[in-house]
Amino acid sequence: MTVAQGSARRFPARLGGAVAAKPFAPFIGAALVFLLLYPIATDNLYYQNMIILSTLLAIMGSSWNIISGFTGYVSLGHSVFLGIGAYTTALFSLRVFDGASPFWFVPISGVVAGICAAVVGSVLMRTRGHSFVILTIAFLFVMQIVTLNWSALTNGNHGLTLPLPMWDIAYQDWPFYYALLGILVLTVALAWWIRRTKFGMGLIAIREDESKAASVGVNTPIYKMLSFTASAVFIGAAGGVYAYYLTFIDPRGMFDIVVSVQIVLAVLLGGRGTIWGPVLGAFILEPLNEITNNEIGGGNWRLVIFGGLLALVVLLLPRGIIPSVAQLWARLRRRTDAAALVGARLERPPAAALPGGGAAGSHRTGRPLLEVRGLAKQFGGLRAVSACSFEVEQGSITALIGPNGSGKTTIFNLIDGTMSSDSGEVVYADERFDRLRPWERAHRGIGRTFQITRLFREMTVLENLVAPLRSFSWRQLGADAVSGPEAERAAELLEFVGMGRFAEMRAGSLSYGQQKLVELAQVLMLDPELIMLDEPAGGINPTLIEHMASMIRELNARGKTFLIVEHNMPFVLGLCDPILVLAQGACIATGTPEEVQADPRVLDAYLGEDYRAEEVAAG
Amino acid sequence: MATGGGPSLPPVPPTAVTQLIQTIILGLLIGGVYALLASGLTLIFGVMDVINVAQGALLILAAFFAWTLWNEAGIDPLIGVVITTPAMFLLGFAMYKLTVQWLSGAPASMSVLLTFALALVIEGSMGLAWSTTYHAATPGYVDESYRLGQFYFPKAQVYGCGVAVGVLVLLYVMLNHTWLGRSIRALSENVQSARLVGVNVRRVAALTFAIGVATTGAGGSIISVLYPFLPGSHYQWISRLLGIIVLGGMGSLPGAVVGALGLGVAETMTATYISPRWATAVPYIVIMVVLLARPQGIMGAKLREDVVV
Repeated sequence: MTVAQGSARRFPARLGGAVAAKPFAPFIGAALVFLLLYPIATDNLYYQNMIILSTLLAIMGSSWNIISGFTGYVSLGHSVFLGIGAYTTALFSLRVFDGASPFWFVPISGVVAGICAAVVGSVLMRTRGHSFVILTIAFLFVMQIVTLNWSALTNGNHGLTLPLPMWDIAYQDWPFYYALLGILVLTVALAWWIRRTKFGMGLIAIREDESKAASVGVNTPIYKMLSFTASAVFIGAAGGVYAYYLTFIDPRGMFDIVVSVQIVLAVLLGGRGTIWGPVLGAFILEPLNEITNNEIGGGNWRLVIFGGLLALVVLLLPRGIIPSVAQLWARLRRRTDAAALVGARLERPPAAALPGGGAAGSHRTGRPLLEVRGLAKQFGGLRAVSACSFEVEQGSITALIGPNGSGKTTIFNLIDGTMSSDSGEVVYADERFDRLRPWERAHRGIGRTFQITRLFREMTVLENLVAPLRSFSWRQLGADAVSGPEAERAAELLEFVGMGRFAEMRAGSLSYGQQKLVELAQVLMLDPELIMLDEPAGGINPTLIEHMASMIRELNARGKTFLIVEHNMPFVLGLCDPILVLAQGACIATGTPEEVQADPRVLDAYLGEDYRAEEVAAG
Repeated sequence: MATGGGPSLPPVPPTAVTQLIQTIILGLLIGGVYALLASGLTLIFGVMDVINVAQGALLILAAFFAWTLWNEAGIDPLIGVVITTPAMFLLGFAMYKLTVQWLSGAPASMSVLLTFALALVIEGSMGLAWSTTYHAATPGYVDESYRLGQFYFPKAQVYGCGVAVGVLVLLYVMLNHTWLGRSIRALSENVQSARLVGVNVRRVAALTFAIGVATTGAGGSIISVLYPFLPGSHYQWISRLLGIIVLGGMGSLPGAVVGALGLGVAETMTATYISPRWATAVPYIVIMVVLLARPQGIMGAKLREDVVV
């Protein structure tokens, strides 16, 4: 129990599933020096071209990785930004500032691609999964058709010819080479920086479980829109350089679905979600592409080879080279101590471990903290909640009980904003709440756990604790993912729930009961005034149930208000007052445990014969 | 690139109403063919939650088969359906057993990537086997039309639509009146429950995939008569099919029929009244609008989204 105490600052600022760059550092340095010196050392244009194209693919892969690797939204039309960038530079240098070097317009290409991504992304990313993938493909093809048909601007099918490079032939393709290399360095730096900030933490949280992320205060639309933008800017800039390099662009070549597939393939091959995977994948794939083009003649064989390779990678190596190698590495020098903890017994923490909080004692004020009025929610023909009204008194531990299917969890979802209600009002601390987004509700002081625990499985326990956000600000996005005071507070809360030793473990590897405790600590990080627990005693052993009850009492004594859904009657009757009884989506009774037990309506609707039998048996 | 209208028509009488009705007739005829094409895609999605992006490539492959039968053996493509359909069934079965089966449990986006990869392999293989030039089967009736009052009914489209509707009816009967059909529907409702009541999930999934692919046999044969095609045509076809099932509601067979008729009419209207060049954009625009405004489509029920994913 002492390991974590006072050691918060030593927690590395690392996000879930991250692979430390350390073992690779010498290789990366050597590779960069090689790439910097290569054109000067030799005059082989064939390999220079190969490196230029590999660099371009690496830029696109690293960028795509931000939206698809970190955020988990697979875009299969991402080469659209290459086309947008290429056409921007071409149009500026041909139609606006005739005669100027196209290099001047490369930054503009990046900005235009970024703006397009911000606009399109904020619309497309309302959908998920299949729909999002299809939409990104559709966007690519729509842009291709528009470019083809808007001949007045783009010269349609016939394409655009850019000015030829004007520098001395002795410099070969150096300006293209170093421009793209520079953009690649910027792209990787951006990915690396995102990965270690609050912003990156939020993206990973969205990838792991988006609605959970929203319920712990992550402003998901802004995060998604920014990540889509970040994944487009450098592709746009690279597109500008690429257009100049080719000196000729046409709609079919610039908005090419096969390029999108190459991006995806490169990242999957190298390792999705890692920093260096996309670069590695690109530098394997593009040379392979060149060789097949030259040796077998490209065209049809290229399709067969790339399609076949993509299928093999998806089926056999879905995690990519870097994560697979890292896993192998970890297995070779496995640390057994952490693994053994999963089965370890949980110890009772000292009661004084609770951080912050006010003076102990009853904080009941008699005023409602939460009011629900006439709430209704329908799923197709099923009326899950109808005309449901109740209050939760400030400082109370209120229970919400009812038979299965009576709408308890739905009410939780309506209160925290995971679902929106059809009608009715939710008033929290005298504020109309029902039209606020989930993260806004979290920011105002509501925290909830889920019936089946929902931690961010690929993150460590500590990262799970620092993922919740109490507010939203632009500056916060760039803050360190795990900062000193926050990590200390997280460590204290883990101590409080008795999970201090588990801070560095992957959340998905914990047992169910342990996950319940971590989820409670996670919610406490929001410092909520109202804590909603969905079956805190469900599926865990009696000792842990007792531990859970004492923690709830302790928190309540420090001023937290609770609303608890639970089926374990002894737990509810011993802990909660008042008790709200729900049947068929409406609140049918309220009262102290004694009153509820004596209420004939409740006995009929819910407790019924089973409970009386249990009582007889127990007494 | 084929755009909506199909074979060229005799001059249409120049009143606005007649032209409108003629356009709608052509749209509905082609929509009937689309309905068959989309049924396979929506069936596979409904049962195994896999969007088979290779469906377009398989369609073109079947068209090449039909063209070869017509070209080498003189078999009318619309009769060649009885050969191409079983051939595509076997191919679909093999495809499932060799690749798709091994995906189970992977995230949805991976299935899109895998089937996209297969589409590329099929596209490249077709280019190697038949070259990347336009092909079209041209039996004697392609330039002939039936005439009813002021309206023309191109024979190829009428026959094509007839074959498509026939196969769709067979598919419907199979799904509703056979044990296999019931198993397939059970699987699309709930895999776990289907397994509990004794459905051999792996076998039924493989058969569903194979049946879904088999529909491209008939579909591709019809297409080989109605449109010129080349290996790269599959992008246009898959986007059209996706547009249809997105419009109708993914996984819903009646939805696919409604979506197909709707898209057929929308395309011919765009080709007639705006420009054939913009007709190719119609499926993409339908996809974008529907997925953003009403993701469940026309016939898809808005199901309870459980918070536990």
